[in-house]
Amino acid sequence: MENGLNRRDLLTLLSAAAFTRLQLTAAEPNNPLFFTAQEFALLDLLTDLIIPTDAHSPGAHDAGVAAYIDRTVAESFRPEEKNSWRAGLASIDELAQHTHGSSFLKAGKQKQVALLTKLAAVEWRPETEPEKFFTQLKQTTAFAYYSSSIGIHQDIDYKGNVILQEFVGYDAT
Amino acid sequence: MLLQFPTANSEVDLDKTYDAVVIGSGAAGGMAAHVLTSHGLKVLLLEAGKNQDTSKILHSMQWPYDHPRRGKMPPDYHALTTNEYNFRQAPYAQNSPYKKVTSYVQGWGGSDYSKTLVVDEKEHPYTGTRYAWVRSRAVGGKTNIWGRLALRLSDYDFKAKTHDGYGQDWPISYADVAPYYDRVDFYLGVSGHPENLPEMPDGKFQRPLKLNYSSLHLRGTLKGMGRMLTPYRAGVATDGLKHNKYRSRCYGRGACNRHVGGCDIHAAFDSPTGLIRPAMDTGNLTMRPNSTVYEVTVDRKTGKASGVSFLDSDTRKSYQAKAKVVVLAASTLESARLMLLSKSSLYPNGIGNSSGHVGHNFCEHVMGPSVAGIMKEQIGKPRTLDDGRPGGFYVPRFRNLKDRQPNFVRGYGFEGGAGCGMVPGTAFTSSGFGEEYKKHVRDYAGATIEMGAFGEVLARYENYVEVDSNVKDAWGVPVLRFNYRFGDNEKKMAADMAVTAREMFEAAKFEIVSVTSDVLPEGWSIHELGTARMGDDPKTSVLNQFQQSHDVKNLFVVDGSSHVSASCQNPTWTIMALCWRSCDYLADQLNRGQI
Repeated sequence: MENGLNRRDLLTLLSAAAFTRLQLTAAEPNNPLFFTAQEFALLDLLTDLIIPTDAHSPGAHDAGVAAYIDRTVAESFRPEEKNSWRAGLASIDELAQHTHGSSFLKAGKQKQVALLTKLAAVEWRPETEPEKFFTQLKQTTAFAYYSSSIGIHQDIDYKGNVILQEFVGYDAT
Repeated sequence: MLLQFPTANSEVDLDKTYDAVVIGSGAAGGMAAHVLTSHGLKVLLLEAGKNQDTSKILHSMQWPYDHPRRGKMPPDYHALTTNEYNFRQAPYAQNSPYKKVTSYVQGWGGSDYSKTLVVDEKEHPYTGTRYAWVRSRAVGGKTNIWGRLALRLSDYDFKAKTHDGYGQDWPISYADVAPYYDRVDFYLGVSGHPENLPEMPDGKFQRPLKLNYSSLHLRGTLKGMGRMLTPYRAGVATDGLKHNKYRSRCYGRGACNRHVGGCDIHAAFDSPTGLIRPAMDTGNLTMRPNSTVYEVTVDRKTGKASGVSFLDSDTRKSYQAKAKVVVLAASTLESARLMLLSKSSLYPNGIGNSSGHVGHNFCEHVMGPSVAGIMKEQIGKPRTLDDGRPGGFYVPRFRNLKDRQPNFVRGYGFEGGAGCGMVPGTAFTSSGFGEEYKKHVRDYAGATIEMGAFGEVLARYENYVEVDSNVKDAWGVPVLRFNYRFGDNEKKMAADMAVTAREMFEAAKFEIVSVTSDVLPEGWSIHELGTARMGDDPKTSVLNQFQQSHDVKNLFVVDGSSHVSASCQNPTWTIMALCWRSCDYLADQLNRGQI
């Protein structure tokens, strides 16, 4: 107890070091932590189709959404969660093969969008494997994108998390 | 600012008899320490958890992208979900593979920062009926992360039976408590806009919060309906406190809403900086964290409490502390548990329990029904700063004041908010994908408005907790078994909440996005109350109007367990006002040799 402060400071330093290490080892597109290069390319494309670059702001690819998901899945505690991502990506490819006779990556933009449009039509009541995966992927992509620097500052143009001398808004009158 | 409490446990003198030993360091325990030490009494404060400096752990302004998991807990930590409470049997964390299992609150965004402030459910099991029990064992308890809504009760609550015939009146009226609400307001700071409502009296307010455009619009609509929307009455020092060097004024960072709660500059009240640290500066307070009290000890000759037995939470070694007065402030359920555990030949049903009412009349708030909408004029408007304040708005109770509802007694209020947060809710509710989805998220983010209800759960004898001696916690202390369910009145009230929520949003011409009447599991409000209620009759109550045991004159229970009914207004400010009043009485009685 008498060394409580020192011990705590030490722990803070240690965890800061751990932070840095984690950030340094964050996935590079060519070197994902969990997914294969092929899976990662598919994940990156899917997230960027869900939130693309438009005239207003960069999209999911630029915001590193796939890298964030890769890191999260890599360190996830439950094997089922890892499996669900791998199986989900495979189910998208399977659907693409079945519908368009090619992998999703090679299907071309028009067919890719057509396929996602079908899945998105039932996103609030998904039933099949690829439908359920789309819903999971979209919600995760939304969190990863809108909690990224690009999402918060460039897309949403969030004004808060600043020091205010006076509250902003309207007086209750 | 560093908050290093000066006392090491090894230096705590357990040979001496303190004037008072206070169990628990949250809103009630902190207040007891403050008031008793200010009267010159020598106080020993025992807290089961550790001393954690929220100035350093909360990181209120850290951006999500600067955190390796965007604010989420480590992968081997797990927060219980609604479904786990709904479909599994307590103890909910039993056989869990996770390293630490927390209650549901850590499932909210930003929970990594406060994960050490809440208990590990694996170490703290309980049994019985469904209950989402949120516990903090840390210096300051739940005040470290509380929701900050600081409301006064009124005689609609204190004299509720007189008003509608149900239950019991409190042994006090608003006039008895009002001066103590004032003291709490001045000492700790509360923000609010005066509205002159008899059902929710005004306080001694600091600078009020502002409203978003849509909230202001709804305020106007509700006025036309004879209802009220007022800026969130936050237990936050919006103007600062000249007498407290440990707390800053509020700078509108909005962090208290992004994380589970908590404020690393302590503009929002927390017990460690608001109450305990200043009490320590008097030189009259000794605090021993890491002290798990398991029994109130009794002097067989006098029948009075002689102190408490506790375990060092780390070493599990047992100790005794002696005091002239024992003050329980361990929380509504933990104080009841302690009384029931303190059995002796003199008190075979537990100390202070000759009435058999300890653990009974357990009540709280029912939650779940809510409404979300869009203010169409706000769609696609340039971004504004919508969350730079400690809360949104509050719609006070309007049911069963002048009117009589045919289906239920008592009432409910709504907490709400509007506008664009750091991570907008529309990201998760907008349909589709691609450029259209992205534009929709952006355009609608600032146009959202929502509110959810908190309703009074009736105090009923048949809703109770008892000791389950078959199951023990990690310290070998028998746990609580819940026998608690929402009743018919709560269910009918919840149905009405959804109806009026929709009615108000429709009147404001908001586009309704969703309305739900689903009730969340028991315990969700984190407002447990009433397991050792006050009253004039020792046969039907546990405590007198000064929270003093009818049976044991030197035993006081100063937390939410003393409340006779739950009201629908949040309890923390009332807990502290009543505690202040009781501790003034306690000090006076002790000085006169009456205890």
